[in-house]
Amino acid sequence: MNRRFAWFSACVCFLGTVSLIQLTQAQAVRDYISIVGSSTVYPFSTVVAERFGRTTAFKTPKIESTGSGGGFKLFCSGVGVQSPDITNSSRRVSQSEIDECARNGVREVVEVKIGYDGIVLANVKGAPSYELTREHIFLALAKNVPDSGGNSLVPNPYRSWAEIDPALPDMSIEVLGPPPTSGTRDAFVELVMEVGCEAFPAIESLADDARTAACHTLREDGAFIEAGENDNLIVQKLEANPTALGIFGYSFLDQNQDKVQGSFIDGVAPLFESIADGSYPVSRPLYSYVKTTHVGEIPGIEEFLAELTSDAAWGDFGYLTDRGLIPLPESERQMVLNAVQGLENVNLAQ
Amino acid sequence: MPSSTVLAVLLAMTLLAFVLGRRRSLARSGARFHSLPTYYGSYVAIWCAFPALAVFCLWQLAEPGFIRSQVIASLPAEVLALPEAELGLLYNDIRNLVEGNFVTAEPSEEVVAAAARYESLSRISDLGLALTVLLLGTATLGWAFRRVNPAFRARNRVEKTMQRLLMVASTVAIFTTIGIFFSVLFEAFRFFQQVSPLEFMFGLSWSPQTAIRPDQIGSSGAFGAVPLFAGTLLISGIAMVVAVPVGLMSAIYLSEYANRRVRAVAKPMLEVLAGIPTVVYGYFAALTVGPLLRQFGEGFGLDVSSESALGAGLVMGIMIIPFVSSLSDDVINAVPQELRDGSFGLGATRSETIRKVVLPAALPGIVSSVLLAASRAIGETMIVVMAAGLAANLTANPFEAVTTVTVQIVTLLVGDQEFDSAKTLAAFALGLLLFLTTLLLNIVALGVVRRYREQYE
Amino acid sequence: MSNRRQSVRDRVALGIARRYRRERNFRLLGLAAVLVGLSFLAFFFLTLIGNGYTAFLQTHIRLDVELSASLIDPDGELDPQTIGRANYQGLIQNALRARFPEVASRNELRELFALVSPGAAFELRDSVLGNPDLIGETMDLWLVADDDVDMLIKGHIDRSAEESQRRISDPQLAWIEALEADGRIERQFNHRFFTAGDSRDPEMSGIRSAITGSFLMLLVTLALSFPLGVATAIYLEEFAPKNRWTDLIEVNINNLAAVPSIVFGLLGLALFINLFGLPRSAPLVGGLVLTLMTLPVVIIAGRAALMSVPPSIREAALGVGASKMQMILHHVMPLALPGMLTGTIIGMARALGESAPLLMIGMVAFIVDVPESPLDPATALPVQVYLWADSPERAFVERTSAAILVLLAFLLAMNAAAILLRKRFERNW
Repeated sequence: MNRRFAWFSACVCFLGTVSLIQLTQAQAVRDYISIVGSSTVYPFSTVVAERFGRTTAFKTPKIESTGSGGGFKLFCSGVGVQSPDITNSSRRVSQSEIDECARNGVREVVEVKIGYDGIVLANVKGAPSYELTREHIFLALAKNVPDSGGNSLVPNPYRSWAEIDPALPDMSIEVLGPPPTSGTRDAFVELVMEVGCEAFPAIESLADDARTAACHTLREDGAFIEAGENDNLIVQKLEANPTALGIFGYSFLDQNQDKVQGSFIDGVAPLFESIADGSYPVSRPLYSYVKTTHVGEIPGIEEFLAELTSDAAWGDFGYLTDRGLIPLPESERQMVLNAVQGLENVNLAQ
Repeated sequence: MPSSTVLAVLLAMTLLAFVLGRRRSLARSGARFHSLPTYYGSYVAIWCAFPALAVFCLWQLAEPGFIRSQVIASLPAEVLALPEAELGLLYNDIRNLVEGNFVTAEPSEEVVAAAARYESLSRISDLGLALTVLLLGTATLGWAFRRVNPAFRARNRVEKTMQRLLMVASTVAIFTTIGIFFSVLFEAFRFFQQVSPLEFMFGLSWSPQTAIRPDQIGSSGAFGAVPLFAGTLLISGIAMVVAVPVGLMSAIYLSEYANRRVRAVAKPMLEVLAGIPTVVYGYFAALTVGPLLRQFGEGFGLDVSSESALGAGLVMGIMIIPFVSSLSDDVINAVPQELRDGSFGLGATRSETIRKVVLPAALPGIVSSVLLAASRAIGETMIVVMAAGLAANLTANPFEAVTTVTVQIVTLLVGDQEFDSAKTLAAFALGLLLFLTTLLLNIVALGVVRRYREQYE
Repeated sequence: MSNRRQSVRDRVALGIARRYRRERNFRLLGLAAVLVGLSFLAFFFLTLIGNGYTAFLQTHIRLDVELSASLIDPDGELDPQTIGRANYQGLIQNALRARFPEVASRNELRELFALVSPGAAFELRDSVLGNPDLIGETMDLWLVADDDVDMLIKGHIDRSAEESQRRISDPQLAWIEALEADGRIERQFNHRFFTAGDSRDPEMSGIRSAITGSFLMLLVTLALSFPLGVATAIYLEEFAPKNRWTDLIEVNINNLAAVPSIVFGLLGLALFINLFGLPRSAPLVGGLVLTLMTLPVVIIAGRAALMSVPPSIREAALGVGASKMQMILHHVMPLALPGMLTGTIIGMARALGESAPLLMIGMVAFIVDVPESPLDPATALPVQVYLWADSPERAFVERTSAAILVLLAFLLAMNAAAILLRKRFERNW
């Protein structure tokens, strides 16, 4: 027994040494595109990558789901094989991120706006459907709301939708939504809460800082439940809890039409057509950013961009729309296409 | 010769060295050797393998940099004027060409030339490596072989080497700790420049609702870690309440009552519980247990949140049962049979023996298994992410939603906010604080366990 | 005197029934505890199997596809490049039109073509490339159906629901029912699930790249953590002097077991990727991170196992003249090995199911190509589960469960190996 054990451990030790040596041998050679970034863009980016890998001789790009911020951090860490070629984002790049990029030698970046993503408020089928305005949503979810006289701000007293507007169902307010680190949350606050709070003179009259704080802060007393980024889980939690509403991306509504129903916002239902023509108010653009210096050095980037911006992908009937991406209007597509083909540098002023 | 072949040959040589050394001590059967033949074999084998392996590693470490500098030096001057990062890309191109990978454009002449140079250099280097390593191995083998004689104390040498190796292995844990400490320290430091450490450690409110972009004016943001730690304690406490009785009773049943067949099957089956991916538990907690508790609570007129701490804690408790049961079982099994026989001899029943004799004897081991389970509960992430939500309530009510440190770390790290915002940095500060807290707990636990540790015979 | 003895015996006799009852209750309590654990396990398995077994079958549609030479290889030169570029999608679409000649409008055609998976064309291309003799013939082929069709056939989409509330339109439903009546729709074994990498089309997706990634990672982890863990345990338990330094190491190790796994991910990012320059998403880095994470578990279990070997064994060995190292290797180790293996198995099981630390080192990624070495980009099985669970497509639900089942099958296999090992060496004192 002991001798066998000795041999066994000797072999295992040897394997360990070999692995360590493999480690030191690690040399950066890369023949595939490396993409990082937002988990919202991930489902779209991966479809393009898969087509690209199947139809060309290039390897399928590697796509990491890191979140927009993590994506920019990696993307801006420098030029070279170690850093990714493309990052996806569910928000536009910020000036401080462009500066950080430039500090690390990433001076030329092409911005590709790939389409829109609708954000919906939905609840389970069979429960009453909601016809909300953004003022309703503000009153239901803000931390502080104007009191009944409309003068001063008080902690949100509303427990039921019917208290806000008798026309709404008499259901307790319970909304599952993304955490404050999420781009979906950011877009929701900007497109719904900010517009909703403009209707109240008590808030409009506040100083800038206080007004933004009042508009942007969601309540924390249990009526708004931060439910994480997993939209499938939100859909399933809605099924288990008929009183709750959920905030998530349009593609999940599209896939679960038989389980959940989208609420009307300002009288418009969240449908593909209404989001595409802009009449549904809550949608935000999705972006990819490409390192110009890597084009021509890492094999396949140009071809990948061509696939991404082809009509078959992001066009009105492209395969990305099958996945729930709302296409850009024709004219805007042409503009983005020109920028991509000319490898124009990103310009935040536009 | 590729490096794997070199290693294979070296392995063969080491085996040969062992056999030779052993033979040499056996062949001179007349003489009385100090150590057993195996030790002479091992001694020669160690000398054959270690120096050669060291050279091999160093060579491998130095080779890529050397070849790179040589290849780049041979490039034309206008290429050399490029910034370092772009040179790196060009070098990647050259290597892609060498490896026969797909290259974008038609390679330029200098790239092809550089690729050829790269190839010849790496061929020379490989050959040099093979020769050096094998010659060195042979030389040290010969030297050690000649030292094999009756007076030579091979066993002491071999054992000393082994003991040193064991010591080196034990330092890996220290280096890991140092590594973790430094990898979170700098970012945590940057966080503390924006938020005061006192507010962070003793603040009673956690609400990172600051803006995720600089062009927005921030709304309320509070970074008090107390609710997170309280939530962590609440959930892991519930988990321990489930896991310790069930795990301990299972261990007792399996080691003291069950027959061998049942035990051989049931014990590994229970271990499977620890291996189910935590994502699965998370789904179970969020979609089955959560709503069930909510309905149950409504039946009693209680207001149970669908993201209650109870749901996450219960499911986490199931997950850590094997940590308690499996290790406790081993420890209970190791209590000497004489203790039991003595107790039986005095007329005690089995359960009395277990409670009065076996458990006290096994206590230190059981405590350490419970500690391990508690550690796992504190560090668990996915179950809580899915089932407990993110609301940082400071409460001891298990029916309310709480959040834990790990959940916040994950959420903050994978978020869409800017990577240098206080939110992202807070994750590192949380990591640091959690690390220090558990360190403190462990120092206390070590003292306690040591005081009550006894060894039975 | 005898009176007194009598009374003691009486008291004992009086208590005996109560003691036996307690004994029985205690025993039942233990049995109940084991059953609680096992019944949860059974519950998990049954739920998973219930959700996941359908993923091992995949709906196929039988069509007569004409591999017309004029479309695939107009020059007749059998040049693989020309054959590879041909429009196989078009061939399949022609076959569908031939089956349903009454469909004419553009929108209706779009819906008709959507019945077959886009991946079917790539598979057709590969089979034609593999056997160019097929060109010119009309093949009777089973083509992969789209995931929506698959969900309908498996009953996850309700046929009686209103048209607007399901992803299959009324005309599509009519075509599917016509095909069904013809016997042209069938559920077949889903071999792609085991042979393909990840895909965004559920019907084309598989776990091979994830399994390979997990395997490579575990290999690295096992090769490093077992020897390192056992060596550390032996050193600390047998050789180390009891002083501050070893106290420090001990506290350290216990502490490392409590550090949340995601922090190990941060360490891996800082150390292996940023400092050593190893590539992101590589199983090697994943394996190293998991090694650091598993090590404390192996060490703690190893020490407990060593501690439980009775001193008499050691003293006997030393008494007959063994050196300390001989005593440990020849006498203590064999007895401690089962316990060490238990710890290693638990540690490896944890490593196999772990996904949080992999997040930080880039392994939460879309990987189609199967990794060939520990340095290729890869993902792991639990990460694949996590990614699929987050996908909008309904068909990924069953695939998630199926992937978990595969993961558990590996776990059971590992544990079975451990049982065999343990059975051989276990000893009762």
